[in-house]
Amino acid sequence: MAEPIDSALDLLRRLNPKDVKQNVDNIIELNPSLEEELLESVDIPLSVKKCSSTKRDFLCCDYNRDGDSWRSPWSNNFEPPIDEGITPSERIRKMEIKANEAFDVYRELYFEGGISSVYLWDMDDGFAGCVLLKKSVKGGSWDSIHVFDAQDRARTAHYKLTSTVILSLGTESEALGGLDLSGNMVRQIEQDMAVEDDGSHVANIGKMVEDMELKMRNLLQEVYFGKAKDVVGDLRTIPPLSQTNRDRQTQREMISSMSR
Amino acid sequence: MSRTQALSSFIESAPPGELHDVTKAIKNILGEDSVQSELEPAFQKHNEEQFSLVKLPGSNENVIVSPYNSLGDGRYYDTENQSSFAYDHASLAATASDVRSHVVESNHEDLVKSLLKTLRSHGTEHYPKYHIGVYPTNDDSQIALVTVASKYSPANYWNGRWRSSYLYTPASSTLTGTIAVDVHYYEDGNVRLLTNKAVTSTINGSSAGDVVKAIAQAERAYQENLNKAFGGLAEGAFKSLRRQLPITRQKIEWEKISGYRLGQDIGGGRR
Repeated sequence: MAEPIDSALDLLRRLNPKDVKQNVDNIIELNPSLEEELLESVDIPLSVKKCSSTKRDFLCCDYNRDGDSWRSPWSNNFEPPIDEGITPSERIRKMEIKANEAFDVYRELYFEGGISSVYLWDMDDGFAGCVLLKKSVKGGSWDSIHVFDAQDRARTAHYKLTSTVILSLGTESEALGGLDLSGNMVRQIEQDMAVEDDGSHVANIGKMVEDMELKMRNLLQEVYFGKAKDVVGDLRTIPPLSQTNRDRQTQREMISSMSR
Repeated sequence: MSRTQALSSFIESAPPGELHDVTKAIKNILGEDSVQSELEPAFQKHNEEQFSLVKLPGSNENVIVSPYNSLGDGRYYDTENQSSFAYDHASLAATASDVRSHVVESNHEDLVKSLLKTLRSHGTEHYPKYHIGVYPTNDDSQIALVTVASKYSPANYWNGRWRSSYLYTPASSTLTGTIAVDVHYYEDGNVRLLTNKAVTSTINGSSAGDVVKAIAQAERAYQENLNKAFGGLAEGAFKSLRRQLPITRQKIEWEKISGYRLGQDIGGGRR
């Protein structure tokens, strides 16, 4: 028999992805021992908070959370404020500031709006972090959650990246009725890249995230607008099937008469 | 939310063809095997709403379970086979039991027969795999017409279902109903398409052919609109959420990223 956590993840892979937050809460209610693992491994749409010292919006996830407060990447302060909240070491915070500046540019270039936040934390043999991006428009929202770690080696670093994109689209009209097309896709990659200084880390992570998002955007396009539409076409066909079968028969006869 | 409510919401949200998987996962999360009887009302709701199929014993024929052919107490009837049967929702089995002869008494008996035939011809022309049902309502004032077409491909991580159901009122020659599509794709992710379209139509004429013609027109128009909607979302909301490449059509030069900000050439304003 599978472990309960595996069954919980299997269940979440099947139920309507739009309700993932409610479903996670319900599973935890039913089996409280799964709480920690589920909150760590299930990505839910990112929530937004305002940094009170810089007045800028930032994104919240489990990685910048301490109790009921979230750390702003712009000020390094927790909202709402707490005493002795966990913050990165001086070196890592410096890199975090650079990374937030870089991904702010990335966000503007690719999303032309939205919100970005990068959080880094210290590890024994390097550091780890996450890059978060969110944009909402009328009829849809995009959340990217890129979690990575970097292990320092001589002149290189080994990066491991797990990326999730949560994409929700919906439309409603008299002719169409209601349509909701929502979900998430996950991809992982590992890569060794050259490192000169801490600036190289920001550039390396930037390249990895940029490549990954390009790949995932193409994949989402294929699944959301190609695969989903194909399945509908497999369920019901607009041209009558007798016509399609006749056409196929005619085609076969033509081919066989030509080869004779 | 109570335990039963939470579990029932899982059952209700089960994708086409995945009710067994969802139930198995629930049992394992709870560490209880006995939950199936607790969930019977949820299974019944799911089966009736999804027009689930059950096999009549001794035959290879699948018949629909829906609110329109329910006789109460877990019994349903089938117009074509002129029989009624029991279905134990909690068992999750695919087979009915206790089949008895059941003749539908209706003033529209002949119309029901021709509707079955005509709706079947329409189904054969447009659904590679489908089941239909035609049932007079309890007070005999309306006739329900149900079509369900499912295709399961779990090996390729997708499943889908098209459902349409209509109520035809002979006295006013009106047709009302719903078309609903449910597609689940779950390879390295979880993507769901859920649609719902209300149909209202006035029938020109009173023959089975006239009714099914109106259904055919509504379903064709809907499928065309749905196909257009995919294109609309791809070109609209999807594109405006994230560009494929920056406006410069070049990937970012990360080594020079600090210069981008100084140049102020990246377009768009700060929030």
